[in-house]
Amino acid sequence: MEIALVSSVNGIVLSAIYIMVALGLALLLSIMGIFNFAHGAIYMVGAFLTYGLAMQAGINQWAALVISMIIMGALGIFLERFCFRPFGGKAFEVIVMSVALILILETAVVVTVGGSNRALPAFIPGNIKIGVVSVSIDRILTLGIGIALLILLTLLVQKTRIGQQMLAVSQDREGAALQGININRTAAIATVIACILATLSGTLMSSLYFLGPFMGDNMLMKAIEVVILSGIGSFGGILVGGLIIGFMDAVLPVVMNPLAAQAITIGIIILILLIRPRGLFGYELF
Amino acid sequence: MLKKRFFAGKGKYTGAAIVALVVILLFLLPPIGISRYYIHILIGVFIYIIMTSSLRLISLSGQISLGHAGFMCAGAYTSAVIAKNFGLAPWLTIPLGALLTFILAFLVAIPFTRLRGLYFTMISLFFGMAVLAINELFQDITGGQSGMVGIPTLFGISKIPYYYFFLALTLVCLFVMHRLEFSRIGLTWKAVAQSHSVASSIGIDEARQRIMCFALGGLFAGLTGAAYAHYYVVLSVTTFSFFTSIYLFIYMMVGGVNSFYGPIVGTAVLLLVQTFARGLREYVPFIFAAVLLLVLYLMPQGLAGLPAQLKSLVQRRGNPPEKEVIGRVP
Repeated sequence: MEIALVSSVNGIVLSAIYIMVALGLALLLSIMGIFNFAHGAIYMVGAFLTYGLAMQAGINQWAALVISMIIMGALGIFLERFCFRPFGGKAFEVIVMSVALILILETAVVVTVGGSNRALPAFIPGNIKIGVVSVSIDRILTLGIGIALLILLTLLVQKTRIGQQMLAVSQDREGAALQGININRTAAIATVIACILATLSGTLMSSLYFLGPFMGDNMLMKAIEVVILSGIGSFGGILVGGLIIGFMDAVLPVVMNPLAAQAITIGIIILILLIRPRGLFGYELF
Repeated sequence: MLKKRFFAGKGKYTGAAIVALVVILLFLLPPIGISRYYIHILIGVFIYIIMTSSLRLISLSGQISLGHAGFMCAGAYTSAVIAKNFGLAPWLTIPLGALLTFILAFLVAIPFTRLRGLYFTMISLFFGMAVLAINELFQDITGGQSGMVGIPTLFGISKIPYYYFFLALTLVCLFVMHRLEFSRIGLTWKAVAQSHSVASSIGIDEARQRIMCFALGGLFAGLTGAAYAHYYVVLSVTTFSFFTSIYLFIYMMVGGVNSFYGPIVGTAVLLLVQTFARGLREYVPFIFAAVLLLVLYLMPQGLAGLPAQLKSLVQRRGNPPEKEVIGRVP
């Protein structure tokens, strides 16, 4: 019983992180038609930036998080302008581009701070008792931030002009351009949002688990799994997909051999792709 | 006038001459006396040249695979496990590994070819990961992350027989792939890549062609993997990870996906750059990334398209003519 409760709390927290990372990936996929494999590296660099600002420069950890979100957002503008736009929608060139980005970012981190894993201190230390299990406040905090951000993003898409423009571009690029929507600006905003989400989730993840130069690789795979499972073009879909993958990651290794759990997850993704390539909730993109 | 006639055939045999020169040079390298280390590096280059070229063979039919290392893994482990556990000679198990990989690729391709474009790429990516996951699941046979040891060798300790073996293997494989590409089959595949609906309308069985293409690519990958196992003798799943597949894809893209020589040039250049830059230790990935960026921004046709690009630059004819585009999502 206790194990079930603990793993479901872990599942929800992990899902919140997966959803935030996957949302960034899905945003770029639906608006620019590209798979940004460097998303995991951005997630990692964002976390290291917060760590550096908080531990080396001695800034308050919350302020460090905000500053690194701003810096990574600015990096997003740069990425869109110089790395994604010149290859306008050519998915396979962008894969090469993003691998170059992964190499640069990961090597930069390894060279400057070293390859060892470290940990970010908890934002709010301490535990809270829920029923019989005690949960660290940081986990609750992560969950809270995740939910708040999702509500914020939903509002952004549904209520603001920018959000409606992003929706229009993701549905029909040319049609949106004909209506006078600035596609490049929309893409830039999407990249900025994706980078900020990645930074935030990277920082939260590194205070919950660990911080290392290669932590982005695993997260990238998870984000791709979520995006494929749920399909693109649907906010709610990413939510459900993230919950499924998050719970599978938190619960399956407890009840069976972790390697078998991994194989099962991959098997499910392959089946989904074969039976319903657009994902559970999305629409056909290509 | 005379001069013009004299040089009329110029350039016709330049390509063949360069190829012949390179092959002769490669055959002469060990007698000239390059060090063991460079022989080892060159064997690695040969192995990855076959891998990248077979990846491009698959891309001829418009399918970009990101799980190609999975087939290498399958070939390597089948050959190694059979040779180790049943005591068969590597000469028998290498073809056996290739054959089994071919069957695997064929069976896998039947459902996979239902998907096109980026969806196919994604499913191939997860296929590559599934191979690794299954491999790790049967840890007691394959060794998993910690590696598999005790695989019988092909020739013993000296590296020179291996060098000639892999050189010959590469040349044979490249020859077969070249024949495939410039035959009727290759043309059919290119037709399928350009437009599957037009190809079906003129009577090409699209699914069958794509399955065949994918299975043949798997055959070459399995063959390479099996030979790899009996040269390196130690196998670990990390060699065949997702990133290996990505790197194969990058070698192909950097070399130029539209040219037969693209994968060869791309693999050789990128692997040798890493070798020569190894004095920089942890900064090597920067060099690698710099090459990628250089090619991406300045050479849209890849390294193999560079001569044509330079030629048109010298002649001031503007951009080189757009070549046919293979394996792109429309």
